[in-house]
Amino acid sequence: MNTETRPAGFWGDAWRRFRGRPLAVAALGFVAGLVLVALLSPAIAGTKPVLCRYKGRIYAPCLGYFDRRLEPAIFTKDRFRGSYPRNLREKDPESWAIWPLVFQDPYRSVRADEWPGQPANPARDEGRPSRRNLFGTDQAGIDVFAKMVHGTTIALLVGFVSMGIAGTVGIVVGALGGYFGGWIDMLTSRITEVVMCIPTLVLILAIIALIEKPTIWHTMAIIGATGWTGIARLTRGEFLRLRGAEFVLAARATGAGPLRIMLRHILPNALAPVLVPITFGIASAVLLESSLSFLGFGPPPPTASWGSILNDARSNLAMWWLVVFPGITIFLTVLAYNLIGEALQESTDPRLREARK
Amino acid sequence: MATYLVRRAIFGVLTLVVITCFVYGLARNMPGTPLTVQLGETDPSRKFNPEDLERLKRIYGLDKPWPVGYARWLANVVRGDFGRSISRKQPVATLIAERIGPTFLISGTALVVAWLAAIPLGLYASARSGRADERMSSLLLYVLYSFPTFVAALFLQIIFAVWLRGTAWELPLFGMSDLPPDAPLLTRIGDVARHMILPVTCQTYVGLAYDSRFIRANMEEAMRQDYIRTARAKGAGPWRVLFRHAFRNTLIPLVTLLGLSLPGLIGGSVIIEQIFTWPGMGRLFFESIRERDYPTIMGLTLMFSVLTLAGQLLADLLYCAVDPRVSVE
Repeated sequence: MNTETRPAGFWGDAWRRFRGRPLAVAALGFVAGLVLVALLSPAIAGTKPVLCRYKGRIYAPCLGYFDRRLEPAIFTKDRFRGSYPRNLREKDPESWAIWPLVFQDPYRSVRADEWPGQPANPARDEGRPSRRNLFGTDQAGIDVFAKMVHGTTIALLVGFVSMGIAGTVGIVVGALGGYFGGWIDMLTSRITEVVMCIPTLVLILAIIALIEKPTIWHTMAIIGATGWTGIARLTRGEFLRLRGAEFVLAARATGAGPLRIMLRHILPNALAPVLVPITFGIASAVLLESSLSFLGFGPPPPTASWGSILNDARSNLAMWWLVVFPGITIFLTVLAYNLIGEALQESTDPRLREARK
Repeated sequence: MATYLVRRAIFGVLTLVVITCFVYGLARNMPGTPLTVQLGETDPSRKFNPEDLERLKRIYGLDKPWPVGYARWLANVVRGDFGRSISRKQPVATLIAERIGPTFLISGTALVVAWLAAIPLGLYASARSGRADERMSSLLLYVLYSFPTFVAALFLQIIFAVWLRGTAWELPLFGMSDLPPDAPLLTRIGDVARHMILPVTCQTYVGLAYDSRFIRANMEEAMRQDYIRTARAKGAGPWRVLFRHAFRNTLIPLVTLLGLSLPGLIGGSVIIEQIFTWPGMGRLFFESIRERDYPTIMGLTLMFSVLTLAGQLLADLLYCAVDPRVSVE
């Protein structure tokens, strides 16, 4: 990463160690691949053209998969009703379009001849994996591959957003307690303990039940709001250890205020050990979201989440493809984050570093 | 020691009050009440008429704001009365007592099996540390550790209940027993055991993977100590070093871990019990939230919290008991 000739810093050193672990690098590659799939999801599977020329102008209707409002209004006005191939041909013979790799929709079943020559998706329990439906179809005839490709965004967001929240809360609470000590530490430690004692799933189920229309963002916020205790405890320990360090004393002698000392001096030194539980936290957030969706407490139906596909499988276990594909994907994602977390731990912890030959 | 226990107890009670108050507030603010949720979902025409609803609300004390309800609940609990379940028309204490057995059957078996397998595995891993076979088995355990239980449960259900249906290997999908209660005792035990295999497997493998990694990590730490070098220097064989010198010193963190697994032992796993419709505590909890059955939710929350706190205290005390260098003061 660092090509300069000066000696590699702490992070350069850690990266060098990280690279020496092929499994961790593969895991990092896997997560990068997921990011790529999430970004390109409308171009991989969809029924809306990636790019098309219609009545003299160029549009990108596929953006509608990210947000409804991004779908150009002209197609609603011209009554396309989501069915692009035929309408484009009929309403503007001069038009052309670049189509996604797989003509399947994550939200509905594809009808017969919607795409010239492509039969309707099989519904009920007949949709075993085939050339047209790589991962099969669910009971409503919706393509599982398309659902999973579009669910990637959620799986990634859940991990990063919820751990972003948990990390922020945990670091703030832990830093305050560890740095100031005294009654502040007493208060923050008690709060942390109380939250730790409430069973997570209980807390989450109760809060989700409170919300009238839970969306995936609510789920992320709740996972974040309940998952910060471990991070807070670790941060507190690090701050407690470092607040007496000489460089902190030096900073205080130069007149730095508490906020500056905490942010600029202690936090960078405490970041490595705190990053480790955050990475493991991403893994458990993904796991938690998919188990919530699996229990039927996930986001409402049109949102495609990996866990909700598994929930569909519960009513008919003979449809093994509804279990195998999302199950393996969730497993690989969790494994990847765990491997990254472990490698991060071993490449940044000086104690473990010395122990390695 | 006595002052320490008293201080812990006071903090514990305070923590319990905060937790139960918070959960009670949450539960009472969930949309719907136990009186409306159940009937309204199954059949809209069977909803109560407004007067009946008001009367029932008064009977269950739901007409008052939630802080009043909480105070009343707390006062009853202090007197040893956990209330009656609204949706099941039974005392909460009876309901919980009924469910502890089945949950313990699964989690206790899983805990014992996991530890029995984890200790030799962990020791084996540290004895063969760095060799090809150890790396392979450690990687496998790590993979197992990352495998989500509910995915594993579904896989097992597909294999043993769908693909192997009709063969001798077929295992039941749901529940605890298919036999009537008047069947002979031995047959019934065998039937329950068959029903237990899949849920216990699911709960065991995660614990096994976690425990053996934990043991291995602690063994590695111990093997680096000076006294190991001394033991080797005085001529102790590799197994003797491993068992008598290293492993005995890793017992302390193991004991702590055992203490912390106490709440799970009785609390059960919501997901596993839900998948296998096992009549245990986790499932009771899930159902009581869905039915908005406040007394049951509160009884279970109180129990979970007491167990968690007790587990922490137990872990700390055991730690002091096995390690004379540590003292509670």
